Amino acid sequence: MSAAPIPPAIELRGVVKDFAIGLRGVKLRAVDDLSLRIEPGQIYGLLGPNGSGKSTTIKIILGLLAPTTGDCAIFGVPAGRVEARVDVGYLPESPYFYRHLTGRELVRFYARICGLGGPALAARVAEVVAWVGLTEAADRRVGTYSKGMLQRIGLAQALVHDPRLVILDEPTAGVDPLGAAAMAELILKLRAQGKTILLTSHLLAQVEEICDRVAILDRGRLILEGAVGELVGRADRQAIVLEKLPPAELAELRAWLAARGRTIESIEQPRERLDRIFLDRVGRGAAAGKERDA
Amino acid sequence: MKRVPFSPARVLLIARNTVLEAARQKLFHFLLLLALALVASAQWFRDFNFGAPELKFLSDFGFGAMAFFGAALTIAATAQLFFSEIENRTALTLLAKPVWPAEFVLGKFLGTVAITAGFCALLTALLAAVLWSRETALMREFPDAFASGRTFRYADLAAVGFLQWLKLAVLSAFTLLVASFAQTQLYTVVAGFCVLVICHLQYLAQETYGRAGSVLLHTMGGLVALLFPNFQLFNLADELGAGGAVPWGRVARVTAYALGYIAAAGGLAVFSFRKREI
Repeated sequence: MSAAPIPPAIELRGVVKDFAIGLRGVKLRAVDDLSLRIEPGQIYGLLGPNGSGKSTTIKIILGLLAPTTGDCAIFGVPAGRVEARVDVGYLPESPYFYRHLTGRELVRFYARICGLGGPALAARVAEVVAWVGLTEAADRRVGTYSKGMLQRIGLAQALVHDPRLVILDEPTAGVDPLGAAAMAELILKLRAQGKTILLTSHLLAQVEEICDRVAILDRGRLILEGAVGELVGRADRQAIVLEKLPPAELAELRAWLAARGRTIESIEQPRERLDRIFLDRVGRGAAAGKERDA
Repeated sequence: MKRVPFSPARVLLIARNTVLEAARQKLFHFLLLLALALVASAQWFRDFNFGAPELKFLSDFGFGAMAFFGAALTIAATAQLFFSEIENRTALTLLAKPVWPAEFVLGKFLGTVAITAGFCALLTALLAAVLWSRETALMREFPDAFASGRTFRYADLAAVGFLQWLKLAVLSAFTLLVASFAQTQLYTVVAGFCVLVICHLQYLAQETYGRAGSVLLHTMGGLVALLFPNFQLFNLADELGAGGAVPWGRVARVTAYALGYIAAAGGLAVFSFRKREI
């Protein structure tokens, strides 16, 4: 007997979302015939300019908005059902949490909302708080947290019930490069645990570095979708990085290639990425960033 | 697929959090302190008794303060605590969890009525203390008039306070119904005060319903009398101040009447909130 096929983590089929604007009810189409299939275990980037329909799409996936037409399912369960959210953790953009609670109380609150209780509750809360690197700051009020710490406690509340799908809406918005690097590291760890991650971000360099696949939306329509490597790589071109050649040897190389009917299209000096230089020079890395925040 | 049943535990968690949020709001502290100060100072307003017996005047004054500030607190708290969740987007995080919209709305409602319960209990206790203190002074001053002991029925104050609280719970349910579809907090507050006025004048609609000659007036009167509860029914202070016993049968009927309106308004609020775009 063969095992039942694993349903996609997220499946949208022909989703359209219209909003009625003003008293006359003029329709604004936020999502236009969007179909996506996100397989389990991937980091999937949902990209697009402001107003392209990313947040509306996320709300439809979370069941917070009903599509005008089309279907959406999470692990095969229709997104509008409460049951679909059992397997979803969500970190909203610029999260605001109950400021009167401490970090630990906040995660505990969401854990209990998700039905966790008994002796396992405290252990699970401590585990996720430690996992995001906030153990030392766990008993401080959330109102005193920095932006990076808010994102990390937000991630802890999203993970506390051990969901299979994690949705991160701009997880690095407003966070410094150290915080952004720490968040990227956590996202990669989540994938290693077998979780599916859907994220939106305007940091395209980071998306390119960590995402397996991306979809680009513009004015509600899907304009490009595919594996990151396939989208950014050029299969018909190669780059060879050499030690700097003297002019005479470079001329010899050109002549050698010309004899075989090939040409060098461009010669460039490789560049270091600025975020890498920043992280190296600051010299503490993401882990040190956590300590500084705490 | 594992079913997620409606959970009273989740409702209580949301209600508890609502109370904690309210405890941080300065406006609510201000309203509570003002009401407490007014009740505590009631005996200095005795000259304005318009001929009513002194203890009845004090009782009316105290319950008047409770009704006025209680209504302001109820409308402000219901609107503020609902819209703070929407505007701060904590509702987004909460409703992205396996939470039924009904659990959210009921949690908000229970949180608000818990706040008004505390408010009514505090004011009733303070009013009892003020009345006891004044009656003790009067007993010393006019021992003959109190030959058979105290005349005020203190235990019955609780029944009057309970009905005041029940009235605020109905007002909270109606305000929550408005909040469930309103786009702004201001609209909700204004609509809440309109509901308060209509409910206090509902008996006029009932009279119109009974007497109106025109079909239109008759229908409108009947509609208002059906859709809005009569808040005059919740007032027991007159019976209490006159030295009469609390009519417990009436308390039971008014309680059932209030619960009916709370269930109807709450049900509509849940239905409306399910359609709301967060």
